[in-house]
This record gives sequence, C-alpha cells and structure tokens, in this order.
Amino acid sequence: MKYDVVVVGSGPAGSVTARFAAESGANVLIIERRQEVGVPVLCGEGVSKGVDEFKVLEGKRWLANNMDGARIISPDGTMVKLAADMAGDETGYVLYRDIFDQELARGAIRAGAELMLNTCAVNILKENGKINGVKAKQFGEEFDIEADIVVGADGVESKIGRWAGMKTTLKPYDLETCAQYTLSNVEFDRAYCDFYLGKKIAPGGYAWIFPKGKDIANVGIGILASLSEPGMSLKLLDKFINSRPELKKGEPLRFLAGAVPVAEPIESVRDNLLLVGDAARQVDPITGGGLMASIEAGKTAGETIGKAIDEQRFDKEMLLPYEEKLKNTLYKKLKRNYVVKEIILGMEDKTLNMLADSLKDYKFDELSTLSLVKALVLKHPSLLIKLKPLLKLSRL
Amino acid sequence: MGKPKALVDKGKCLACGGCISVCPQDAITMCSSKAIVSKENCIDCGICIHACPVGAISNEVY
Ligand SMILES: Cc1cc2nc3c(=O)[nH]c(=O)nc-3n(C[C@H](O)[C@H](O)[C@H](O)COP(=O)(O)OP(=O)(O)OC[C@H]3O[C@@H](n4cnc5c(N)ncnc54)[C@H](O)[C@@H]3O)c2cc1C
Ligand code: SF4
Ligand code: SF4
Repeated sequence: MKYDVVVVGSGPAGSVTARFAAESGANVLIIERRQEVGVPVLCGEGVSKGVDEFKVLEGKRWLANNMDGARIISPDGTMVKLAADMAGDETGYVLYRDIFDQELARGAIRAGAELMLNTCAVNILKENGKINGVKAKQFGEEFDIEADIVVGADGVESKIGRWAGMKTTLKPYDLETCAQYTLSNVEFDRAYCDFYLGKKIAPGGYAWIFPKGKDIANVGIGILASLSEPGMSLKLLDKFINSRPELKKGEPLRFLAGAVPVAEPIESVRDNLLLVGDAARQVDPITGGGLMASIEAGKTAGETIGKAIDEQRFDKEMLLPYEEKLKNTLYKKLKRNYVVKEIILGMEDKTLNMLADSLKDYKFDELSTLSLVKALVLKHPSLLIKLKPLLKLSRL
Repeated sequence: MGKPKALVDKGKCLACGGCISVCPQDAITMCSSKAIVSKENCIDCGICIHACPVGAISNEVY
C-alpha cells in the first residue's frame, strides 16, 4: 500500500489536513482506530463563531445551539459577562461533535482522500533512517502503509511524534484531566456558556455548563493533573452538580472522561513528518479549546503538504513553512495565553473575586481572551508588571 | 514479591488518553479502547494514577 500522505487520526486536525492536502492534488489516506469517526465524543462541544471563516463545514446538522456569549463566575459567585452587543447576535456555537467530526471527514473524502476505520497505527516505518510510512493494525493483522509524508493527528496521546523521537510527553502541569456529563432535564440560561472558577470547585481549571438545547447541557470539569488526586475530576464534578438544585435534578445522557493538553505548542516538523492539532499541543492553554486551532493548523499543514507533493520534496526544510506560518499567527496567541494561564494559576480565590468584581459591569467590545486581558490591565495597572512578558509576546 | 506497577481497571477506563500523554516511560498504550500498562516499562512513578479523571489506575504488586 503506497500513498503520498498517510494521516493518523480522523479528528478535526487530521480531516482538515487531509482535505487541504487532497485538494492540492495529493493522494491521501486517513487511518482511524475507532469504528466510527467522532464517536465516542470527548468534548465540551463549544466553539467560537469564527469557525465559519474556514468554510470547512456544510449545512448546519452539526449545530446544537447558538450562543450569545460567555459568563465567568468567580469563586464567590460574581459574574463577568462577555457577550455580543445585541441579543440574538450569536458569538459561538455548541456542537454535536460527532456530526461535526463526520462532516469534516466528509469534506476530506469529497476532496479525494480515502478513510480506513478500525485501523490503528502501531509504529512508524523507516528505511535508511528515513520515515516512509506507518505500521498499522486492523482486526489483529499488521501491515505496512508506505507514504512520503506521515501526519501525526493522533490527539493528546501523540504517539506518532514520540515514535519519531519528538518530546511529546506532557508534564502533569500541562494537562487538564476532565470529566463531563451531558445532562437532560436541567435548567440554565441557554444563551450563555458558563465557566466557574475556584480552587474548591476545580483546582487549576474550571467547571463548565455548555447548553446544547432547551433543557440539555454539557456539564463538565477540568483540573490540572499536577493538582489532581486519583479520580478527583469525577468526584468534584459530582460535587458541583449536587450542590446546584437546577443541575441535581438532571439525568445523564452521556458520560465521558477527557484529557486536554494546556502546554505550549511543540516542535511539529521533521523530515517526512508533521504533527497537527492536540498532537502538536495546538490548544488554547486558558480555555482548553482546541477545535479552532486544529482547523487553522490543519489547513496550513494541508496546503504545505500540497506544495511538497508538487515539488516531490519531503524534507524538513520543505515542510517547515507550516510551522513558520503558525509561529506568526496562531502560536503568538497560544504562547501569550500560556503566560496568562500561569498568572491565573498563581492567583488566590480572593484575587479572582476582586478582579471579577472590578469587571462585572465592564462592556467588552469583543469576546476573546485578549479582550479580557486588556480589560484587566485597564482596571488594574499594577497587573501590567506581571503581564509584561505577555505584552512583549503579543507585540512580536 | 515483585515491584509495584500501575494497573488499569478495564471496567473503569474511558479511553481519554490522559495517562498515555503524561507517562514518562511511554509504558501505556490504547488497545481496543482501554489503556494498558506494559509492566516491563513502568517505573511506578505514579503520575498516571494521579492524572486519571475517573480513578481507573492503581498500583499493584505483581
Ligand atoms: C473533555 C474535553 C472537553 C473539550 N471541550 C472543548 C470545547 O468545548 N471546545 C474546543 O474547541 N475544544 C475542546 N476540547 C479540545 C478538543 O476536543 C481537541 O482540541 C480536539 O479534539 C483536537 O482535535 P485533534 O484532531 O487534534 O484530535 P482528536 O479529536 O483527539 O482526534 C485524534 C484522533 O486520532 C485517533 N487516533 C489516535 N491514535 C491513533 C492511532 N495510533 N492510530 C489510528 N488512529 C489514532 C483517535 O481515535 C482520534 O479519532 C475538549 C477536550 C476534552 C477532552
Ligand atoms: S487516564 Fe484513566 S480513563 Fe483515561 S485512558 Fe488512562 S486509565 Fe483510561
Ligand atoms: S506509573 Fe509512571 S511509568 Fe508506570 S505507567 Fe504510570 S506514568 Fe508510566
């Protein structure tokens, strides 16, 4: 079996990379170890409206709920609202992530990519020290898939990168360990995604309520693995729900465990190899959101691969424009937010309460972590000192 | 008596991959939607045990 490109993983990063590579003429195979793309869902399913700009989705089957904005609730219950100017002017979506992933995969297939399910990459292949494909396993049988370029879009585990000798192992300090119920028969404001902060609620992370419909919401929690005890996410999630009568009366339709890298992006290019998405740690370290980043990076990766196939050159130098382009765009934001993550982690609950109180009537011009940081600096010039490294980064 | 090693309770594991991403020994792999620890490579550092959101990993003496 021989392809130009073999993509390991059919999540958003893999499918979007495959799509853009195939559109520029590459012969692409995606392998996925699951038996259904996007299933089981391991996601809070919230995404910003900016996802429309990539034009990688058709129709609206993937859309569960339109959002007006987000609300951050401090440990003492003070609420900071980040919302669109006018009601009904939606700023984000809550998805059906399984359908979302399947639509992205369909986009890749329409562009000419092939997709093989139930197929797990178990190693990379090398010839004379050069990566030339992956060893795969399907229904107990191992076989080789040769390819000029291997794309590691294998999510948080990032084994492809590890097998290639890249440092993909996460420090517990850079991992959010998560649990989530999709609860039915619950009450909430369906126009907002809510984020609850506090050391007692979610050490080093937050609890969330993302509304999927009238009385259905994803209620989850993420805590920093370095602050976690065995099984702590689930215990704290149950505590969060049981202390709120409007959630406690709900019944779960789905339960999941999850792992989100909240690291800085890592090296993502070697000869004949690219890492994309969670595998390259392309996730917003403040929110843990990785869908937008995976799509943005996937598009850039696919386009870079297209050029490499045209020139029949697959060395690191040829593939590096992928990483260089992201360094000037996506990575600036991710690195800045990593610094903010560290500052927030160092804050006591009472500081968070004080900051929330000072922002509770603030009018945000835009719904983003950057607008939140700008507002904080405006209200608390003393924070500037702590945020200095961050401002330097965003000016780069 | 052997040394303690991490052990995944297959009934509890929900295949989130968190343990795999933090294991410094690359001792864990996902097999049929369950994490499995390779006894040969595990050094019982306990990192995965703390990182598991549902408490599916413990250390057992083999
Ligand atoms: C609990 C939780 C909540 C989240 N909430 C949000 C949110 O609300 N908004 C947001 O933007 N992001 C959220 N994220 C993050 C988001 O889910 C990820 O950033 C996103 O899925 C990354 O996409 P990906 O394609 O890189 O990886 P994945 O979606 O993880 O896809 C990787 C794919 O590779 C496959 N695979 C892995 N190894 C192999 C192998 N060896 N062989 C074959 N196939 C393999 C897997 O089966 C999987 O299908 C959340 C994550 C979690 C865990
Ligand atoms: S961290 Fe726990 S639930 Fe997640 S894969 Fe490992 S053992 Fe399974
Ligand atoms: S105890 Fe340490 S070495 Fe053993 S599997 Fe867990 S993380 Fe890996």
